[in-house]
Amino acid sequence: MHIVEVKNVCKTYPAFRLRDVSFTLEEGKITGFIGRNGAGKTTTIKSMLNLIHTDSGEIFYFGLPLSGHESEIKQRLGYSTGTVSWYPRKPIRAIVDVTRRFYPTWDEGAYRRYLALFGLDENKKPIELSEGMKVKFNLLLALSHRAEVLILDEPTSGLDPFSRDELLELFRTLRDRGVTIFFSTHITSDLERCADNLVYIHGGELRASCPKADFLQTSGRPGETLEEVFLRLEREARA
Amino acid sequence: MSALIKKEMRLGASILTYLFLAFFLMTLLPGYPILCGAFFITLGMFQSWQSAREANDIVYSALLPVAKRDVVKGKFLFSICIELTGFLGMAIVTLVRMTVLSDAAVYRQNALMNANPFFLGLALVIFGLFNLIFIAGFFKTAYKFARPFVSYIIVCFLVITVGEALHHVPGLGALNAFGFAHLALQLTLLLGGAAAYALLTWWAYRLSCARFEKIDL
Repeated sequence: MHIVEVKNVCKTYPAFRLRDVSFTLEEGKITGFIGRNGAGKTTTIKSMLNLIHTDSGEIFYFGLPLSGHESEIKQRLGYSTGTVSWYPRKPIRAIVDVTRRFYPTWDEGAYRRYLALFGLDENKKPIELSEGMKVKFNLLLALSHRAEVLILDEPTSGLDPFSRDELLELFRTLRDRGVTIFFSTHITSDLERCADNLVYIHGGELRASCPKADFLQTSGRPGETLEEVFLRLEREARA
Repeated sequence: MSALIKKEMRLGASILTYLFLAFFLMTLLPGYPILCGAFFITLGMFQSWQSAREANDIVYSALLPVAKRDVVKGKFLFSICIELTGFLGMAIVTLVRMTVLSDAAVYRQNALMNANPFFLGLALVIFGLFNLIFIAGFFKTAYKFARPFVSYIIVCFLVITVGEALHHVPGLGALNAFGFAHLALQLTLLLGGAAAYALLTWWAYRLSCARFEKIDL
């Protein structure tokens, strides 16, 4: 089942254009969204979260158009932006206490479990957290309201190898529980380790949206790793 | 609704906003332009907008399960709460000046505006102008606030200057009434100020919603 559907999304900035981006996300699967810096990953994710206005196109979640059903859809979504911290000088406890009021599905038990799992201290402030811990804090908020779909913008960037490994392991655990995960990255090893499907974007245009194995079969050459395939495709596109 | 106000008060607001509420006490100052008290209360609110912007509050709010117009609504509800709290303080002090202190020499010899219902009406106009010029101006971009705030300061001090001096114009002496003199006129002016506040705030809210809906975050 397609739990998320992005249809023909276009967005024009003075120096960049997102062109006719369409893809779907399958329920209970991890989809990696790859592309080099400036390829359009963040613009696509912002469109999916209704943070920017698209010139055209539609986005559906759970069969409902985002436009007109924003509140009810966002109740079932979780998001994380790896590099941004919210309310950097407020204690985590205060941020959580305010945030939980917006989610009738807030699960205090889950919150306590993930808090312990991530090793987060409620008395700390986001400014005192490392980049990896900030990502975990965003995930903590998303998972505590039982988000069915997680949209994560470069959640592994800035993480040390151990934290990345922990995070990717968590993704797999969540997928096994039926959570749909869509995460952007430019680290191909993240995709190799946990993605079921791939969405590949280059210069604002979608180049592929398919299962990882199919991508390797259709775009890869014998013996090439995923990283080598992407590097070759990027070189070919630039040539 | 309560979640939105709670968010503004606990996460978005600067402590200075609450501390600056104490400027309602300026209503007691003799020989001082007491309308400045309303300005200082809005200056305290400005601190909250500044700290909220630094904390990425607008984007965080837009990502919550609320419509974009509810983000604007939360900001307005918070501002209205602060403004009406400040107004209440000013009204209490004004009542004290109109009753037990109505014959105090320091107030009788005051060349500037007296604390009376007309003063309270003008304080409401200043709050309404803050909402229209500053808040609605901020929502043009949701991050730039220098120009709207400077514009607001200019208009605000024009209103303060005119308000403080108006009773010196021949025929307008009743504006500076002491005690309960000219009560009907004074109450009419207060009601006019309240109506202006409601209108300016409603207009500012509508404008802010429309502007915020259009911008990319």
